[in-house]
Amino acid sequence: MESTAPAPAITLRPLSAPAAIPAAPGSAVAPAGETLIDIDHVDFFYGAVQALHDISLHIEHKKVTAFIGPSGCGKSTLLRCFNRMNDLIDGTRVASGTIKIRGIDIHRPDVDVIELRKRVGMVFQKSNPFPKSIYENITYGLKLQGVNNAARLDEVVEKSLRGAALWNEVKDRLHTSGLGLSGGQQQRLCIARAIAVEPEIILMDEPCSALDPVATAKVEELIQSLRERYTIVIVTHNMQQAARCSDSTAFFYMGKLIEYAPTRDIFMNPASPQTEAYVSGRFG
Amino acid sequence: MADPTHHFQARPSALRRSESAIFWLFRGATYLVLLCGAVVFLNIFIKGLSTVFQTKAPFVNTTFLTEAPESLYVFEWQGKKMEMGDKEFRVFKERNPAAANVKSESYVYCAGGIFPCIVGTVLLVIGSMTIALTLGVCAAVYLNEYARDGTFIRFVRLAILNLAGVPSIVFGLFGYGMFVIFFGWNTSLLAGWFTLAFMVLPVVITASEESLKAVPKGFREGSLALGATKWQTIRKNVLPYALPGILTSSILGIARVAGETAPIMFTAASVLRTQLPWQGLTRWTDFFFQGVMALPYHIYVVSAKIPQNEYTERVQYGTAFVFLFIVALTAAASIVLRTRLRNRYKW
Amino acid sequence: MASPAPADSAHFIAHKGKFRLFGLTLDTCIKVFFGGNAVVSIIVLALITIFLFREGAGFFGQNRQNLKVYREAGLEYVDFIRAQQDDHTALTRYLSDLRLRQFQHFTQHQHLTPAAANAALAGFDEFAGQYGDAVEPLRTLVSDLTEQATAIKERFTVMEDRKTERAQLLAAGKAQAAAEVGITPVDFVAELKPILGTLPAYREASADLAKRLAGIVAAAPAMPTPELQARLDRFRQLTAEYLAGFPAVARNLETWDYRRPVPATQEFSAFLFGREWVTASFWQDWYGVIPLVAGSLMVSLVALVLAVPLGVGAAIYVNQIASPWEQRLIKPCIEFISAVPSVVLGFFGIAVLGQTLRALSQQTWLAWVPGFPYSERLNILTAGCLLALLAVPTIFTLAEDALNNVPRSFKEASFALGATRLQTVMRIIVPASLSGIISAVLLGFGRVIGETMVVLLCAGNRIAIPDFTAGLAVITQPVHTMTGIIAQEMGEVVQGSIHYRALFVVGILLFFLSLAINYAAQHIVRRYRISIG
Ligand SMILES: Nc1ncnc2c1ncn2[C@@H]1O[C@H](COP(=O)(O)OP(=O)(O)OP(=O)(O)O)[C@@H](O)[C@H]1O
Ligand SMILES: [Mg+2]
Repeated sequence: MESTAPAPAITLRPLSAPAAIPAAPGSAVAPAGETLIDIDHVDFFYGAVQALHDISLHIEHKKVTAFIGPSGCGKSTLLRCFNRMNDLIDGTRVASGTIKIRGIDIHRPDVDVIELRKRVGMVFQKSNPFPKSIYENITYGLKLQGVNNAARLDEVVEKSLRGAALWNEVKDRLHTSGLGLSGGQQQRLCIARAIAVEPEIILMDEPCSALDPVATAKVEELIQSLRERYTIVIVTHNMQQAARCSDSTAFFYMGKLIEYAPTRDIFMNPASPQTEAYVSGRFG
Repeated sequence: MADPTHHFQARPSALRRSESAIFWLFRGATYLVLLCGAVVFLNIFIKGLSTVFQTKAPFVNTTFLTEAPESLYVFEWQGKKMEMGDKEFRVFKERNPAAANVKSESYVYCAGGIFPCIVGTVLLVIGSMTIALTLGVCAAVYLNEYARDGTFIRFVRLAILNLAGVPSIVFGLFGYGMFVIFFGWNTSLLAGWFTLAFMVLPVVITASEESLKAVPKGFREGSLALGATKWQTIRKNVLPYALPGILTSSILGIARVAGETAPIMFTAASVLRTQLPWQGLTRWTDFFFQGVMALPYHIYVVSAKIPQNEYTERVQYGTAFVFLFIVALTAAASIVLRTRLRNRYKW
Repeated sequence: MASPAPADSAHFIAHKGKFRLFGLTLDTCIKVFFGGNAVVSIIVLALITIFLFREGAGFFGQNRQNLKVYREAGLEYVDFIRAQQDDHTALTRYLSDLRLRQFQHFTQHQHLTPAAANAALAGFDEFAGQYGDAVEPLRTLVSDLTEQATAIKERFTVMEDRKTERAQLLAAGKAQAAAEVGITPVDFVAELKPILGTLPAYREASADLAKRLAGIVAAAPAMPTPELQARLDRFRQLTAEYLAGFPAVARNLETWDYRRPVPATQEFSAFLFGREWVTASFWQDWYGVIPLVAGSLMVSLVALVLAVPLGVGAAIYVNQIASPWEQRLIKPCIEFISAVPSVVLGFFGIAVLGQTLRALSQQTWLAWVPGFPYSERLNILTAGCLLALLAVPTIFTLAEDALNNVPRSFKEASFALGATRLQTVMRIIVPASLSGIISAVLLGFGRVIGETMVVLLCAGNRIAIPDFTAGLAVITQPVHTMTGIIAQEMGEVVQGSIHYRALFVVGILLFFLSLAINYAAQHIVRRYRISIG
């Protein structure tokens, strides 16, 4: 698990692409596989400003999906729709369309947002460990759910930290402040904190943008190991990262979904000229 | 220095001279303000020292700090001029029957101490700050965590802003009209508490909101993304980090509450109560419905309401010293704590 | 891992049977609780308004009654004549002043001994004595009338008290006792007859006075110097003007009618524009707020004149010029000054500053300052100086904030163009933060005008409109203020009396004044903030 040398950044190395890729290039529908998140013609508004235009895509179960696109194209906005974090911003609304997770429309009035957020974890661009000890950071979510059994908490802490590839680095200082860790460690702590509550889906909004290459490599490795148990949606500006980590990639531009296909296709054989221009670095 | 006439040679000019003159003017203004403040402080500290401290052990004038105000009696006794407080004088007369009819002059308030005033001020501060902190922190939590911008919130903010500018005497009138007369609480601790609490409410709300704002948004998002409810987030991940700031800034509120005279003049302050607030109560509820002595009001009384004579200055400066000391201590604590806090909490 | 939506994982559908109160979830309840606390601020503001009005509203009705009685009991009638008498008194004062000047002339320029000077003034004294005595008949008349009018008013007041007593008894259900309270309404026509009957006597007295004064003035002795002679001529002229006013007084008396109704606006105008605040007087109470407003404004003005340059100057210095360590030191120190309780400052004023300033004013080398030397220890100047010390921290803190908010780039751009530091500060930074500085000054004004203890202790507490004819020397006069009067008189008034209510109305005035100042400050900030960009 640990200390494999970071992959050379230039080669595009499609990782474990799905065996069959019947998707028609350019279509904004899902590639094959089980659909976990089903986004259907979603329009999203910040007050009067429309940030998302008619987005439809299917996100597969236990796969890594990457969202790419130029700044301000609405990646974060869409990601934050999945756990309804946008509810916290005044005047936001999903004007039309539905977002279904496991077939349940998450905007249904009887949906408990709190439950939803427990199932859909999130890692933020800027790592935001709480100013508590590492141990408390990880157990925070569980304690909210009323888990107070010390043995169980210890077990979860170890499991999550191992899961986030942080255990070896922090196991001797679990009760020191989470803010005392390095940037990369903090981000992995946040991931550990997210997986401690055993979500089904982990949303990552540019998790590596504030990290140096070594830390980035560690987080990427982590993503690789997490893909076996979680469905991951990751927003990234780093094309290589998308290529290295993800199974499918969605390219957004100006609030619209331009192309959604297996990662290999997006990078090797993009259907849309805009996608091609973007992935080859000719605009953006 | 070889070539004195190079291109960027600094030359003395009228402009530069006038500039430095004007800067000195500004500097002068600043130091003049500080000087005035220092003069006030030093005057009261130096003259107050002689009342509050003494040259004999225990060096602190315990009578002044631990007893109630009394009248001072001055009389001639066996060729000596005697100065005695009321109680002492009575004991003296009992001991010396010959002194029963001695001609004495009495000076009201000039003997004894100011203990009931200290106690009253402390009680007023504790009660009103409890009320103000409860109301103020909750209001700030609402404004900063729950409220979404709208007409209602604009009104609330407008009300807070305006409340902050209302003169303290108007709060006094209001407290008198509402608590003392309408609720029939008379001049009482309770009326003073509420009047003062409403007066500092804007200070507390503003301070609390500032501290809440200083807690990064990431703490809230991180917690909510883990499936915490709003209240859980606030209780576990926002308030604990805002609390030091709230308390620190609220100490300034304490200084304000302790220092105001006008609002308690007709709501809580009584001119003289030799008994301490917890003495001589028939029912425990009477505690809340009694007037108390307070330091600021006592200063007002001894410096404006009683005839001035050579003995009043002692008690005036002594009271002012103790009062200023208490207020200055809280204010200094708040200022120091705030700079400390600013440096410590950087996330 | 069966395909799409396994039924067991619909976790996030809300569980039924969660905690609920009145149909609200726990979180909503908590939100409502916090919201309720936020509403308290609005409620308090509303309550302040309500209770000030509740106690103050009755004032205007009572004031109208007050003014009505003033008319119906004939006090107004008597005051016409009294004014005539008072004008005469003012003229005799002029004569005493003239005598003093002559005396000085004799002793200082002609080097006479005081006794010799007095002897030289014997002629003038006789003249002045005659002038003063001439009013005697009129004075007798006034004092007779005063007694009569007071008696009528007294009877009326007693009847009013009985009415209240009866009403209270009735309210308590004691009809029997209530009936026993005898009320005989005051018959103003009959009561006023003797007063009105004195009109011929007045005419006689007045004509006599006019004749005598004219005669006396014509025979005034000559003055030793042209300058004093000019003064005497002026006095002659004043007397002539005074005599010319007699027919108007007589006309007023003739046309005076006790039934003329008091207009409804007068109860307000008598308060807002009334030039006298007289309470607990045996004759007539006046609740005119002008002296108090003038006092408050004068004190605030002096305070601001001192505090604005100091506060803004210190803000500019600390924010733009001072070295970092100076900044770190000065800011807390000035904040610290703001913590000094106002009653302590007031005490300092009484104990130290009053005397010091007066002693200073009596230095000869400061005699050029208007109003110096003065003898009243507590006056506008003393209170203004102390209030300035209170206002400086407010103005300093807010102005410093405003300066701090000017974007760094402005400063850098100006420096890059070769401007000096002073030029940058004066032409870029200060103008850019001007709205903030002005609002700081306004809030400082609000702080000062609402301050109670300092003015109560140090403004001198003389209820009179300051004499503005003295020019700048006006600042050495004692005044009373709106805040001071409330603090001073509230403790002594009868609850529910007109005086009590008048104090609440002063409070209302103060309340709205502070709201207006606050509003103006916010408005300026909001309006002009954008203009910086
Ligand atoms: N809170 C907000 N209020 C109003 N508009 C917003 C808000 N947040 C984002 N937007 C707008 O919505 C659009 C999409 O923003 P979003 O943050 O989703 O972009 P992004 O693709 O994540 O960009 P980046 O790569 O820079 O993070 C942008 O035009 C942005 O200006
Ligand atoms: Mg983004």
